Amino acid sequence: MPLLRDIAYVRSGDKGDVISVGVIAKSPEDYPTLLRSVTPAAVKALMGDWVKGEVEVHPMDNIEAVVVLMRNALGGGATRTLRLDQTGKALGNGLLRLTVVEEGAGA
Amino acid sequence: MVQDMGGQVRIGAGSGFWGDALDPAVELLERGNLDYMSMDYLAELTMALLQRQKLKDPQKGYIPDLPTHMRALLPLANASGTRLVCNGGGANPRAAAERIRELARELGLGGMRIAVVEGDDLLGALDDMLGSGAAFENMDTGETNLAGIRNRIVAANAYTDSSAIQAALAEGADVVIAGRVSDNALYVGPLMHEFGWRYEDAYTDRIAAAITIGHVVECAAATTGGMSSRFDEMPDMGRVGFPIVEFDADGTAVVTKLEGTGGRVDAFTVKEHLTYEIGDPKQYLMPDGIADFTTVRIEEVGKDRVRLSNMTGHPRPERLKLVIGYEDGWVGEGMLFFPWPYALERAEKARETLLQRFERLGLKADQMHFDLVGVDMLHGPASPRPDYDPSEVGLRVAVHTEDRAEAEKVRRACSQLWIMGPGGTSFGAPQKARPVFGLWPTLVSRDLVRQTTDILEA
Repeated sequence: MPLLRDIAYVRSGDKGDVISVGVIAKSPEDYPTLLRSVTPAAVKALMGDWVKGEVEVHPMDNIEAVVVLMRNALGGGATRTLRLDQTGKALGNGLLRLTVVEEGAGA
Repeated sequence: MVQDMGGQVRIGAGSGFWGDALDPAVELLERGNLDYMSMDYLAELTMALLQRQKLKDPQKGYIPDLPTHMRALLPLANASGTRLVCNGGGANPRAAAERIRELARELGLGGMRIAVVEGDDLLGALDDMLGSGAAFENMDTGETNLAGIRNRIVAANAYTDSSAIQAALAEGADVVIAGRVSDNALYVGPLMHEFGWRYEDAYTDRIAAAITIGHVVECAAATTGGMSSRFDEMPDMGRVGFPIVEFDADGTAVVTKLEGTGGRVDAFTVKEHLTYEIGDPKQYLMPDGIADFTTVRIEEVGKDRVRLSNMTGHPRPERLKLVIGYEDGWVGEGMLFFPWPYALERAEKARETLLQRFERLGLKADQMHFDLVGVDMLHGPASPRPDYDPSEVGLRVAVHTEDRAEAEKVRRACSQLWIMGPGGTSFGAPQKARPVFGLWPTLVSRDLVRQTTDILEA
């Protein structure tokens, strides 16, 4: 089963207790698949109790990318968190573990 | 319609954070043929650290590296006619500017004009603002009880716009030393000054273009191959070139870098950074305006040359971001490492033993966090448990406490595991407890923030 890793690149960082992840399609043809695969519910389920707040997915059709915002996701923010990855630079790559949803699959 | 004055402004990104490399900035001044070099030194946490340094010594509180950097950069900037714009003044822009003036004199650069930009520091005005009913709701948590942490507040800085930088440049500043202006204003300021743009509807998209470009290059090497998912395709990163912007009066720009430097600039390095650390991409809020990143067109127009066009936006927001920093207890942390065979089982046994030691030592922690290094430290619950016996696994523990003595108990307990722990327990240097700053991000009315500009002549 293909993973998001196979069709997208990631760059992530922090704003307060929010982790912001840019997920960029490797090619324009991958973009519709990326949009199907990166949903707030899928992200919430993957990240478990590390993401305590809402997840938003903002599409950027102009560059075939989405911006994923994970709220209350950094254990109180970069200065306060007990995690080693204080700014969420590594956690963004975790999204690449999402399973790709192929066309016509499910809802 | 905007009457275009024509022309192009060349800006280099000379620093992306406090601790960035100096050699790429030197190269930019030597061969970049720049009009400006902008240098960002500040992160959210930095202001609280610098305020504490200023409390201990009123002559400090600016970025400690600034004099070293300026000693290398001032003569080159003077020779190439490049103006330097930075926020390295941190919590004490005036002391920084006085130090830089002294340095310019030492270097024989008499007549150099050093501008101080102040007004972002609201620490002294905070009580008056609270007294007159400002709510200062925490944007992350929704909390409003700022009074509850008032006696622990060490910093309160507004992210200011580029108006004072523009004023400084209009007064002929060769070097601008600002405090907590937004990183972005370091780029918007020179462009608004050069092209004569004002905060009026006719210029909204132009200013949004400047904001977008500033965002794309302000982390320096992050847009020339640093931090890239395609790390394996980035040549000579140890000799990376910092980005150069060629900004045209019509609100389009090319991002590039010097020939012969490491890294690369292509559509992906620009896309990667366009999406970096933002909120809603339709509304990238900056003190100078709001940029809409969803209209930008990105195209490769040559080797290491990417053109950005069709940048749009909205007028500047009414309120400014204000970040309040306060002392927020201590963190104690430690790491231990375990070998194959049964590395994971050893780490889990050590976790159990550590918990017993914490109990025996009477550790009072309000938060405790464990990681299995090599297993789940970076991706937490998203990490699968290994279905094989790993070569090695680490155990990391971090706790938050009210005072230092409690946090130091973690170091003691971890040391005790050197012998109480499972066979093969190995360790690095034990870590000292560290103080924590909490950040309280909020908004403040623009009218309450007055920036000033002052020129010091060398």
